[in-house]
Amino acid sequence: MVEYYLGVDIGSLTTKVVLVDGAGNLVGRVVRRSGYRGKEVALSLVDELLRESGLSAREVARTVATGYGRVTFPADREISEISCQAAGVVHLFPGVRTVIDIGGQDSKVMQVLPSGRVVDFAMNDKCAAGTGRFLEVMAQALEVRVEDLGKMASAARERCSISSVCTVFAESEVVSNLARGAAREDIVAGVCMSVASRVAAMASRLSREPEVAFTGGVARNAGVVRALADELGQTLLVPPDPEITAALGAALLARGKP
Amino acid sequence: MAAERRYLPLQSARYLERTMKKYYLLTRYQKLWGRPLGRPLAWITSGAPVEILRAFGVDVVYPENYGALCGARRVAPELCKVAEAAGYSPDLCSYARSSLGAVLRPDLAPMGGLPSPDLLVVCNNICGTVLKWYEALAAHFQVPLFILDTPFVAEELDDAAVEYVLEQVRSLIAGLERLTGRRLRSAELSRRFELSNEAVRLWGEIRSLCHHRPSPLNVPDLFVHMAPIVVLRGTPAAVAYYRRLYDEVRERVRQGQAAVAGERYRLLWDNIAIWYRIYNFYKEFSARGACFVTDTYTGGWAAELAPGDPLESLARTYTGIFLNRGVDFRVRQMVDLIRDYQVDGFVMHSNRSCKPYSLIQEEIRRRVVNKTGVPGLIIEADMADSRVYAEEPVRNRVQAFLENLGG
Repeated sequence: MVEYYLGVDIGSLTTKVVLVDGAGNLVGRVVRRSGYRGKEVALSLVDELLRESGLSAREVARTVATGYGRVTFPADREISEISCQAAGVVHLFPGVRTVIDIGGQDSKVMQVLPSGRVVDFAMNDKCAAGTGRFLEVMAQALEVRVEDLGKMASAARERCSISSVCTVFAESEVVSNLARGAAREDIVAGVCMSVASRVAAMASRLSREPEVAFTGGVARNAGVVRALADELGQTLLVPPDPEITAALGAALLARGKP
Repeated sequence: MAAERRYLPLQSARYLERTMKKYYLLTRYQKLWGRPLGRPLAWITSGAPVEILRAFGVDVVYPENYGALCGARRVAPELCKVAEAAGYSPDLCSYARSSLGAVLRPDLAPMGGLPSPDLLVVCNNICGTVLKWYEALAAHFQVPLFILDTPFVAEELDDAAVEYVLEQVRSLIAGLERLTGRRLRSAELSRRFELSNEAVRLWGEIRSLCHHRPSPLNVPDLFVHMAPIVVLRGTPAAVAYYRRLYDEVRERVRQGQAAVAGERYRLLWDNIAIWYRIYNFYKEFSARGACFVTDTYTGGWAAELAPGDPLESLARTYTGIFLNRGVDFRVRQMVDLIRDYQVDGFVMHSNRSCKPYSLIQEEIRRRVVNKTGVPGLIIEADMADSRVYAEEPVRNRVQAFLENLGG
């Protein structure tokens, strides 16, 4: 019988479920907002994914849960998203030595070995500046969809300066820039740079070796990708599905060592 | 999930409780028995040369130890709020805020607060905050404040700095002579030196027993059992206490007993304890077989007073303590501990309260990792103010750190 492995990443903002086969190939993935019932959302996503793939729960050999909701989910093992993220990214890009991940509430930088082991990491603490949540707040202030921020940033003619110390104060800077008549595109470009400079400062705490991958939901935002590449002076590898890499890593760790 | 591992309690814990209870009881009623004997009561900082005060028959209490106690009993946030409402910044050290809060609202404070002082002695070898903290106390209690200013030692301790501190030690003695109306008896000072050194030597040996695999102690043991070396330094009670503790720990080593059953990883701890989580926090580690076999903080009380002229030795020892030293010294200290104790990883508590200890940690971490190849984790918290402690992010980092340790 062919065996399958599940990775469940219950994040602060979205829940991601990934299914891989015994060879580590991606079979399916689903993403949904975690809401206030991350575990229930995750359980229904698992059902959905199995149904779509035409599989039954019996065919899943092992499940690994990760993310902030990892402890509540009935998995075979829970592993921190730092270890999962590293496993997922190294699987996609074997040459990567540095991973920058920006999720809903966390931003983190990891130094990884080809084996997927994390040698060192740094994470934001008690501050939402430099995270996805920061971008959501700014999108709201600008009355644009968070998905459109990247496109808008590329239409900017210049970058407004937005500080990166505090989400609430940065929002009032956005509002005062609007009042001053600045173009929304320029403000968006400034907001993207604010996230990038905060995360780049954190990345400089570790020895940053190439190649560098950029993951997490925020990596979908072309404005942040460009600003971060500018700040670091380095090209960034962005997976096509950047928010599922930790869930993929969890599924691969469920499968065990190849 | 790893199976729950049991953490071996020390028999001496009960003796510790008795010792500390007696100490706090005696100081609480010091006015009743001390006054008739002409013994003033001083509030002093943890890094002040207490031997001199003891030689003068001055009794001492330590607001920092009291701050730790407020942290462990989880009343620090309430007392901090009192201090904040009185205008003290939330960025001020939580020991200072707890102490000032307890002075303002003794009804909220453990044991009704500390007994009011007749004098204050502050030494800034541990931080600059203590100066302003004690100035505020002096203004409140209207009592004399003695200041020992120890210059920061960026590289090596030079003679000019020693001479500068020595001069202040002499004027402290002159001030105490005026205050108590007694002369300093050099025989009594030597006796206090010997008592201090004996307890310090025992404390050093107890810490040193943790070289053994498995380690007989975990860092919460060191934190809990350091109380007498702080508050009873220079007394026979401290010596008696550490003799007993030494015997118990040596017996553990002889029997091969581990503080953390199934010790897999040996870790080094940097900075003050997270008092309000003293056991729960370290359980995250011990549950995964990780034992903190040594630390930088409690070792601060393991430095013996050098032989030679007693006052000069005091000036040297108290100026040279690790918190008054530059980054190279701090790096060297951690690198040496990692090698000596065969440490697999280190954890630094970035303590919002303690600026001199914490501000330089990122640079120390970088250099120590480069020199030793041993991984290091920084977690953000506070020693007493639990309002800044975020459980889940801390747990997340600790788990990730342990998953990748020695992997």
